[in-house]
Amino acid sequence: MSAVPYTQTTHVPNKLGVLVRRTIETLVLPLAGIVVFLVLWSVAAQKIDTSLGKFPGPAAVYLQFGALYSEHIIEREKAAAFYKRQETRTKERLAQDPGYAPKLRAYTGKETFLDQIFTSLITVMSGFLLAVIIAVPLGIATGLSKTLNTAINPIIQTFKPVSPLAWLPLVTMVVSALYVSEEPMVAKSFITSMITVTLCCLWPMIINTSVGVAAIDDDLLNVSRVLRLPALKHIQKIVLPASIPMIFTGMRLSLGIAWMVLIAAEMLAQNPGLGKFVWDEFQNGSSDSLSRIMTAIVVIGIIGFLLDRGMLQLQRFVSWDKASASR
Amino acid sequence: MQPILDISTIDMEFPTPSGPFTALKEVSLRINKGEFVSLIGHSGCGKSTVLNIVAGLYQATRGGVVLNGKEVSEPGPERAVVFQNHSLLPWLSAFENVELAVKQVFGRDKSKAEMKEWIEYNLHLVHMDHAMHKRPDEISGGMKQRVGIARALAMQPEILLMDEPFGALDALTRAHMQDSLMEIQSELKNTVIMITHDVDEAVLLSDRIVMMTNGPAATIGEILPVNLERPRERLALASDAEYTRLRADVLRFLYEKQRKVETIQTEQKPKKPKFNKTENKAA
Amino acid sequence: MKIIKGRVTSLKRRKRLISAAGSAALLLGILSNSTAAMAEKLGWPEKEELKFGFIKLTDMAPIAIAYENGYFEDEGLYVTIEAQANWKVLLDGVIDGRLDGAHMLAGQPIAATMGYGTKAHIITPFSMDLNGNAITVSNAVWDEMKPSIPKMADGRPVHPIKADALKPVVEKYNNSGKPFNMGMVFPVSTHNYELRYWLAAGNIHPGYYAPHKSDVSGNINAEAFLSVTPPPQMPATLEAGTIYGYCVGEPWNQQAVFKGIGVPVVTDYEIWKNNPEKVFGITAAFAEKYPNTTIRMTRALIRAAKWLDEKNNANRPAAVKILSQSNYVGADYDVIANSMTGTFEYEKGDKREVPDFNVFFRYNATYPYYSDAIWYLTQMRRWGQIPETKPDSWYMDMAKQVYRPDIYVKAAQSLIADKIIDAKDFPDFASEDGFKKPQQHFIDDIVYDGKKPNDYINKFSIGLKQGDVL
Repeated sequence: MSAVPYTQTTHVPNKLGVLVRRTIETLVLPLAGIVVFLVLWSVAAQKIDTSLGKFPGPAAVYLQFGALYSEHIIEREKAAAFYKRQETRTKERLAQDPGYAPKLRAYTGKETFLDQIFTSLITVMSGFLLAVIIAVPLGIATGLSKTLNTAINPIIQTFKPVSPLAWLPLVTMVVSALYVSEEPMVAKSFITSMITVTLCCLWPMIINTSVGVAAIDDDLLNVSRVLRLPALKHIQKIVLPASIPMIFTGMRLSLGIAWMVLIAAEMLAQNPGLGKFVWDEFQNGSSDSLSRIMTAIVVIGIIGFLLDRGMLQLQRFVSWDKASASR
Repeated sequence: MQPILDISTIDMEFPTPSGPFTALKEVSLRINKGEFVSLIGHSGCGKSTVLNIVAGLYQATRGGVVLNGKEVSEPGPERAVVFQNHSLLPWLSAFENVELAVKQVFGRDKSKAEMKEWIEYNLHLVHMDHAMHKRPDEISGGMKQRVGIARALAMQPEILLMDEPFGALDALTRAHMQDSLMEIQSELKNTVIMITHDVDEAVLLSDRIVMMTNGPAATIGEILPVNLERPRERLALASDAEYTRLRADVLRFLYEKQRKVETIQTEQKPKKPKFNKTENKAA
Repeated sequence: MKIIKGRVTSLKRRKRLISAAGSAALLLGILSNSTAAMAEKLGWPEKEELKFGFIKLTDMAPIAIAYENGYFEDEGLYVTIEAQANWKVLLDGVIDGRLDGAHMLAGQPIAATMGYGTKAHIITPFSMDLNGNAITVSNAVWDEMKPSIPKMADGRPVHPIKADALKPVVEKYNNSGKPFNMGMVFPVSTHNYELRYWLAAGNIHPGYYAPHKSDVSGNINAEAFLSVTPPPQMPATLEAGTIYGYCVGEPWNQQAVFKGIGVPVVTDYEIWKNNPEKVFGITAAFAEKYPNTTIRMTRALIRAAKWLDEKNNANRPAAVKILSQSNYVGADYDVIANSMTGTFEYEKGDKREVPDFNVFFRYNATYPYYSDAIWYLTQMRRWGQIPETKPDSWYMDMAKQVYRPDIYVKAAQSLIADKIIDAKDFPDFASEDGFKKPQQHFIDDIVYDGKKPNDYINKFSIGLKQGDVL
């Protein structure tokens, strides 16, 4: 039988074709998705009328981004003027009252949107890191000891589903009672928000760490036994590296939860971050309010996305198990 | 030859929900220095249990293990283990895996340079010099097992315990590994207990083959001395009469005397049920 | 506790001195006035970083203006201004020290010092404004009220609208099983008392309190049921139908008109012309510990109040621009501008001139009159928040504990000495005894004489009288 002749229909992939296909996958498709979403949003927004004005569409949100940024610039200028005035006044006072101990005071004006973003980020990272410090050792302990795990597990499972809004009043009262000082380093609202974040994002980390530790290959544990590794070395050289993928998965989950919880906690504790921004705008009820709230929502979403991606990159960097860090 | 390992009337019982399960009954064995002993038997006959008891990973219910005159009940680097699934730490390179063992055993006595030399020597022994800084996920199964052996050897154990070390490898790789092992054995003259399923492997490598009866309450059935001259060459032995005889002895033990009973209970073959595709009912 | 006890005994002693040598007191007054000219220069503030709280209402303006115009900084004070979630959080903040002072309802320092609600000795050296509230009802209720209101020639309703027009509506709702709910901002708020005054004047019973029987709902024997809602949430609550009307400050009444949710029917200017509204509250301990700071912040606030009313309200538009910033009141400029610049929109399209809707400095608005405090006390008694009869002297004592014109006078005099404000813009301190002359511009034409509280209480047809106990 003769060989089948080579025809034009036989597809030979060329470099250009591959490049085009990859561009479509990574750039064009997501962009198309975003554009379609924007159009749908715009149309829907036109149709919804609330007592505070029309539901904000993408154009309104875009305008508010600009407005918030220019407000930020103006506020920075005011702050610069404030510091200049403070300098002048301090000099005058020292001239008249040499015994005066001058202090440099922070600008007393309002925080700008960018300041609030920064505050939110600091608060969430603090609460998250506090949770890591508590959860990872606790998770390792419960992973290593079945007895401890059985004892603690019911408590973990009971506290896991509790919403931050339920914790807030208690945390506020406790912080008020315990954190008393004439010149506090950080505001009470910051501590309250931070602790609420910690309380809510502890649980996924404890559980994932515990599972990661308990699920270590028996063979690896046997290697450690044969080598007679002392307990701390065992944890440092075997347990931790082996469970890092699971620990990081837990951390990623927790960070996502922490960010969500933070916004709610800020709203109620009045920590000057994005949550407070949303609440204040709602209270003001100005015609810009809904657009600004929508702007904040977009920013909150983007930051949450970036936090997650950042954590993923960190996980990939640290983890030896490529499979767990692939999504 | 001095018996350095004395396995003395070991019984092993495992607690189960339906009562204690006797895995081993009165297992006794003496092993001399420099001897290569294979442990062979059907699956589930307790070979791994014996090895784990010698390694100290299990505690015998009765009886004990004495190494160099001292009873051992805990794991330790003097009874290094090579696991069936290499058990390399996936986040360390080959070098670092061996280094972990070396540091743990010799960290206090040797300098960093001395240890580095020792590690490289051991990796050289298993022909892994070229890949010593690669991670386990970057090397093949055979190479991983070599590193596992290197790690065990680097601990300078009194006795090397190998639990079906080549069981997960393909036939060609297995052959290479066996040759490597014989090479190392000739050089280092280690005392080795190796568990295997492979009859050829047992005859090729060992000085003695310990054949175990079936479980439960398994014990040592027969011990077959292998007096083939070393160095043993695979191809040459294929046509060696003694080799063939020894092989036959082992097979006989396994398949006649210790046949695993899986007989058909009834004379009748089961009736095949009607299970045809439905025919197209033409009008 | 100790401080209060000390104050009471020293007051008793002081009273005896005064009553035994009344002229000596007058002499003392004259002397202290003339020493203003040769008073020592006011010392540096003891505490420079301060935090003041406020609720999002247009009459927090003096605080905002004192900050934005640099009056606080002129006094060497570095002030952070923080909006509070509601009146309770604000009051708690001042009591526990989180806030150094706050924009307060005139009744809050009085109730706190008296022990109704929380107990704490709160004082005020500065009255923030007069008037500024209104009562709004839902569109549905307005439609039912309108027919019984007399109209002018052009068809618009005659003002002031009395609660008599609401009475048949309330009866109808109550009879059909829908309790007539109304909102006000706090149990001891001016709004509560003004709303009750207006309702009672129209023969609608707003309910009694019986704290001695642990009933603080304020609904005993009520025909209209009053409850608390924070000001920014009032329009939303009205829209949701949870309440049928409310009494609140601006911009929450104009907001209702703008958004088409409700109709303001009467302003408190019409209920009681030039009534005291908000005060600036601080703890008595603060004033004792930081006397210079207290006087200096009062100075700054006085300057701010004067600026707000200057040149016939010429600065108001600039003030509105500041108030519409999101960290102050935050509502739209147009919504705030109405009332602050002297117009008030009742029904949509019915804008009337009310130039004194907000008064910050005119008519001695900033002076903390004892008679103002006593009026609130009489209303507290009228509705049962003060459960037993008290002698007139008790009312005087209470007022003197809470209202501190002495601090105000020191601040005013130092402003005069520094030639920042003219003496003629202030009351004549030499002859001022803290009591306004008997006031008669109430919606029900009853005359109020602050020196005779029990007589006043007995004049009302609805309300507890002298000797009544629930």
